[in-house]
Amino acid sequence: MHDLRFVISPQDINREDFASSVPDFNRRSDIIKTDFGYKCVVTNIVRLTEQERLFQLHIIDSVERSLFRFKPGQFLMLELPGYGDVPISISGSSSNHEFLELCIRKVGHVTSALFTITEGARVAIRGPFGSSFPMDEMAGHNILLIAGGLGIAPLRAPLSWINEHRNRFLNVDLLYGAKEPSQLLFTWQFDEWKMINHIQLHTIVERADPQWPGKKGLITDLFNDISIDTATTYAIVCGPPVMFKIVCSWLDRLGIPMNRMFVSLERRMHCGMGKCCRCMVGSTFTCIDGPVFDYWSVMNLKEAI
Amino acid sequence: MIYKVISKKEFAGFIDALVQSNRSFGPRQVATDLRGDAIYQFQPVHSVDEIAFDYSATASSAKHFFLPFQEELSHFHFHGNDWEQQISYEANPVVLIGLRACDISALNILDDVLLNGHFPSPGYLARRKNSFVIGMDHLPLADCFCKSMNHHTVTTGFNLFCSDIGDHYYLSINSSKAFSFLREFETRDPNDDDNCMLVERRKVIQNGFQTDIDVTALPTILDIEFDSPVWEKWGNKCLNCGTCAMVCPSCYCYALTESFTTNLKGASREKKLYSCNLVDFAVVAGGHNFRPKNGDRLKYRYYHQHRGFAENASQQICVGCNRCGRACLAGINPKDVINDLRMEKESCMICVSSSPRKI
Amino acid sequence: MGEKITQQGVPFERLKIASFDFTCCEGCQLQLTNRESSLPDFLGLLDVRNFREISSERHDDYDIALIEGSISRPDEVERLLKIRKQAKILVAFGTCACFGGVNNLKNNHSIQNLIDEVYPGMAIETLPVRKISDLVKVDLSIPGCPVDKGEVERVMVSLVTGSRVTLPKYPVCVECKAQLTTCLFELGEICLGPLTRAGCNAICTSGNTPCLGCRGPAEEINMAAFFELVKERGLSLDDLHEKLACYNAFEPFPSHEA
Repeated sequence: MHDLRFVISPQDINREDFASSVPDFNRRSDIIKTDFGYKCVVTNIVRLTEQERLFQLHIIDSVERSLFRFKPGQFLMLELPGYGDVPISISGSSSNHEFLELCIRKVGHVTSALFTITEGARVAIRGPFGSSFPMDEMAGHNILLIAGGLGIAPLRAPLSWINEHRNRFLNVDLLYGAKEPSQLLFTWQFDEWKMINHIQLHTIVERADPQWPGKKGLITDLFNDISIDTATTYAIVCGPPVMFKIVCSWLDRLGIPMNRMFVSLERRMHCGMGKCCRCMVGSTFTCIDGPVFDYWSVMNLKEAI
Repeated sequence: MIYKVISKKEFAGFIDALVQSNRSFGPRQVATDLRGDAIYQFQPVHSVDEIAFDYSATASSAKHFFLPFQEELSHFHFHGNDWEQQISYEANPVVLIGLRACDISALNILDDVLLNGHFPSPGYLARRKNSFVIGMDHLPLADCFCKSMNHHTVTTGFNLFCSDIGDHYYLSINSSKAFSFLREFETRDPNDDDNCMLVERRKVIQNGFQTDIDVTALPTILDIEFDSPVWEKWGNKCLNCGTCAMVCPSCYCYALTESFTTNLKGASREKKLYSCNLVDFAVVAGGHNFRPKNGDRLKYRYYHQHRGFAENASQQICVGCNRCGRACLAGINPKDVINDLRMEKESCMICVSSSPRKI
Repeated sequence: MGEKITQQGVPFERLKIASFDFTCCEGCQLQLTNRESSLPDFLGLLDVRNFREISSERHDDYDIALIEGSISRPDEVERLLKIRKQAKILVAFGTCACFGGVNNLKNNHSIQNLIDEVYPGMAIETLPVRKISDLVKVDLSIPGCPVDKGEVERVMVSLVTGSRVTLPKYPVCVECKAQLTTCLFELGEICLGPLTRAGCNAICTSGNTPCLGCRGPAEEINMAAFFELVKERGLSLDDLHEKLACYNAFEPFPSHEA
C-alpha cells in the first residue's frame, strides 16, 4: 500500500512533478552529448612533427555522423577508452561532414596513449562543445589571423571557412610563427592558401639554420610587414598565453576594437559541459563560454592571460 | 501546493509506514563531540523511532544522495579491436526525511546548474526523480546564516514540507505522490488558528538568527578584491583538505578518471566529487598549475559560492548552512572571510598595503 | 597465462616482476595475494620471476622489482644495489621502503645499546635504518602500512597499459568525508588525515582510529597551520610529535612550535 518503488529509466523520465523544466532525455542526441560518445574510426594519422600528429576521424554510425555538426573554433572531447578524454579543438573544415581533423600535441598521458594507436583504432568523441568564431559577423571585412606554434590548429578551422567563402572577405593576412622551421605545421597547404585562396601568408621562426630562406624572430617582428585598415579588420589570435597579451595589446594600440579581436583559450577540462568547473577562468567556463572569447571579455577575466 | 494539518501522532504513523517499505534516510545521532553536543548524519532509518526529528544539523549535507562522492559514469567493454560503451542511469528510489529548508534550497540550486544548463546531467536527474524529499523547518543554530542568503524558507524542490505548529505539523504538499500517500492518513485543512500558528512559527525562526552576513553587492566586492591580501591571510590557514566542499550541500565540482579493469577487458570512466581547494584542481596537461597557492584556491571556492558562475546566471550558490565553517579544522568560515573582505574594502588603512604578488 | 590481451590492436605485455623483502614484516607482499575476487585477473597481469612468498622458482630476468622494507644491514645494501642494476622500474613498496616506517624508531638509539638490548653478547652487524631512496634511485612509490591491494592493482594495470601511474595528491580527509565519518578532532584526538596522502579509503579513521600518516605527506601540506590548530584545540604537542614520527613519513617537514 505504501510502496514507493518506481524505477525510472531515461526513456520515461518525465514523470515526477516537482523539478520544473525537465530536459527531454527521450531525444537520444541530448544523452549522447552528455555521456555517450560518438564512436569513430581513426582513418588516417599524419606525423607533423616529433610532438604533433594530425588525426583524421570518421564517425561510424551514419545517423550520429549527420548529428555531428560543428562551427569553427569549437572543440570536442576525444576519448581513448581506458585512458581518458582530452579537449581537442577541431582543426579541419566545418563543411567536411565525413571526416574530422584533429591536430594533437603529445603533452599529457591521454595524448601520449593516442600516439601509440594506429589507423583503424576506435575512439569516442563527445561534443562539439564551446563557442565559435563569429564567421558571419566577420564576413565583409579584412581578416588578420595570427597563430603561434600549435595555435595554427584551432585557427585552421576558421581559415578553412574563409577559404570556402573567400569572396565574402576582403584582404586576409595570416601571420604564423614557430620555434624552428621544422615545427611549422601544415606546410603542404601553404601554396594552396597563397595561390588559390589569396591569403597573404607571413611566416617567421625563432631559430633557424642559414638555409632557412624566411624571416627569423618573434611573431611581433611580422607586425611591420603588414598594413592594417583598423576600421574594417577582424583579428583572430591563437597561440600560447604569453603571445595573447603581447599581440592583443599591439592590436589594441593599432586601434582594432577589442570586441573585434578573438582569442581561443585552453584549460584543463574534465567534462566539457560546464559542470566539473575545472576550466574556470574568473567566473567564466572555458568550455561553454569559451574557448573562443573576444579580447574585451578575456581582458576582464582574472587569471585569463 | 496543497496545505494540510496533521497531528504529530498521525504523522509518526505516516513516516513509519513510509520508512518501513522504502530505502529511507533521516537524521540520526552518530557521535557526541567534546563539548557534549550530538553529531548527526543522514543515516539509514527503518522505523520512525530512529529518526531524530529534533536534530540540530547534519555534519554532512544530503548532497551525496543525488551526487555520489564517487560513481561510474560509463563503462567500456572491449572485444577484439572494438568496444561498446554502456551507461546506466537507473537510480534506486530513496526517501529522505528531515531536510532543512537550506538543504532543499541547495538541491534547487543543483537543479539549476545540473538540469537547466546547456548539458543536463541524466544521472542527477534520475536520482532527483527517484527521491522523495520530506523537509522540516528548524530553529536556526547560532552560526546559521541562511537568512542572509535568503534560503531560510523554501517553496519548491520537495515533495512534502512540515512546519512544527505545536501538537501538529503544517504540511505543504508539493507532489501528487505525497498527496496520495497522505490520503491514507488523517489530515485536515488548515483553519485560521493553524495559519496563525504557522505565521508565528515562521516569526520565531526568522527572529532566531544570530549570525548575519552582509552580502549586498558581494559579487562586485569579490571582483574588486581579487588581489586582496585577505586571500593570502586565510589561505595561509587552509589545509587544502577539501573538507569544506565535501560537506557542502551545493559544491558540485568533480574530477573524471578513466582506468582499465584489472582483467583489461573493460574500462570505466569514474566521476569523483572534487574540491577547488585540492592542490591539483587547476593543473593542466604539462603540469602548469593555474592556482598554485592556497589563497588562490580558497578564493576560487568563495568566488564560486558567493559570486556564482555564468552557468547558473551568476547566482550565489551558498545557502548559508555553515557546514563548511563548522567542519573546517583551520577555522575558516564564510562569515569571517566575507566580513574581512568587507572591512578590507571599507578601511583605507589596508587599502595602501601591498597586494600579494600575482603569478 | 594463455590468451594474449590486445587493446586497439596493440598487445599488452605481462610485467616481468620480482618481489624482494628487506627489513620488514612481509605484510605488504602478503597483500599481493589478498583480494581473492580479482586475484586471477591480477596475476594475469604479471609474469612472476622471483617472489618467494608465492613461488619457489627463481629467475633473475625481471623488469620490475618491488622492494618491501627498509635497509638496516650491510648485506641488504649489497642486495639492493644488485637489484637496482637489473630492474628497469624499482618500486618502493610499502611504508618501510618509502619512508623507513616503524623500523625508523631504531634510529632514536645508539646501535650498541640496541645490540646489547636485543642480542646481548652476540656479534651483530647492523646499521641505522634507511629508506630505499636513501640508497638507490626509486622509480615509483606505493606507500601504505600495509599497501592497499586496490591501489597495487591500479598501478600494475597502468604499467601494463602504459597509462600514467598516479597516486592521489589530496589528503585522507576527502575520502574520510565521503564516508560521513565523524572527524576525530571533534572527539579530541589528533588525526594526521589532513596531512596524509589519500588512497587508503580512510580505512583507519572510518574505524574511529586516528590516521598516523603511513601513506606519507599529501602534496603541498600546510604543516604550520596543522601545528596551529593542534595548539588552538589544546591538544598535546607531544602526541603530535609521536604520531608524526611513527612512520618517519613527515621527516622532511620542520615542526612549527614557535
